[in-house]
Amino acid sequence: MDNKINFKDLWAKQTSIEPNPGDLLLQISKMKRSNLRKLIVTNLMLVTVSAFIILIWIYYQPQLVSTKVGILLIILSMTIFLFAYNRSYTLFKEDINSKSNTDYLKELLAIKSKQQFMHTTMLNVYFILLSAGIGLYMYEYTSRMTIFWGIVAYGITLIWILFNWFYLRPKQIKKQQLKLDDMITKFKKLNNQLEA
Amino acid sequence: MQAFADIYKTYWQKIFRLCMGYVNDADLAKDMAQETFIIVWEQLPKFRNEANIGTWIFRIASNNCLRHIEKLNRFPRGELPPNLADEKIPGSEPQIQFLYKCIAELPETDRIIISLELENIKQAEIATIVGLSESNIRVRIHRIKEKLHQKFAANGQ
Repeated sequence: MDNKINFKDLWAKQTSIEPNPGDLLLQISKMKRSNLRKLIVTNLMLVTVSAFIILIWIYYQPQLVSTKVGILLIILSMTIFLFAYNRSYTLFKEDINSKSNTDYLKELLAIKSKQQFMHTTMLNVYFILLSAGIGLYMYEYTSRMTIFWGIVAYGITLIWILFNWFYLRPKQIKKQQLKLDDMITKFKKLNNQLEA
Repeated sequence: MQAFADIYKTYWQKIFRLCMGYVNDADLAKDMAQETFIIVWEQLPKFRNEANIGTWIFRIASNNCLRHIEKLNRFPRGELPPNLADEKIPGSEPQIQFLYKCIAELPETDRIIISLELENIKQAEIATIVGLSESNIRVRIHRIKEKLHQKFAANGQ
């Protein structure tokens, strides 16, 4: 074996011109702002929609309980969606970066499986509540129409709901899941290296 | 701010080398080093002196390396500050290049361990950074060095 090679010397010879730290800080604040903006816009949008629905309730004074329950379900579905969305944003805010590699990988795996749960379960709950809410909400107004138009109104809504449930929802879940599964496999592999 | 500037000055090259050992790609390593310092900047107010600042920074840097697989698509190239200086590539000597190439071919966690060892970090400290026992680290370092020597010998260096 050739012991003349001094790895430490070779190692230390690799250097790089360090970028100006000022530029880096500028970039940080820019990135933070754009992340925050996305979060605020999503929250604001759903809050506005909820407020709009409540306004309808106040102005049109629905007579049937089904309408009121429908409105509550719609708002509940959006609240749950927002909760999940905000939660997945804050999952990474918890300070795990300065843990040891072993603990870090464990935490990362735990976070990934939490995300997996949220993406599937929460999305399902959101769709079910939203669809049920819309269905109930429509009943009062549809019951005042002729049977023909009532069927048309519910038919269109049903098609929209089915499209969401059988096309958009699985597509969304599959996309997220593929990414997460891949990541979890890779992190598990890293974790195994440390346990070996 | 002064504290951050000092840390940046002291640790930039070390963190760059750690990332370079991990990916063996100078541009990417620079991006990853910058990501590390972004986290350091954000978490610095939370740092309490219970740990050695070096240990703390190397933990952040090595964890960032481990998460690299996930971040591959998150920071499009060129979003981080560009390097205006027209630099010649330092460390372009073949032996240095070969060393980094060999290290980047090791299993991910071994890359981190040997990089810290070559950076002259005490083995006890490496143990707390990685989260393994000191004896485990010692054995691993020994094995990795053996592997590196073999590769160098095989390459006729």
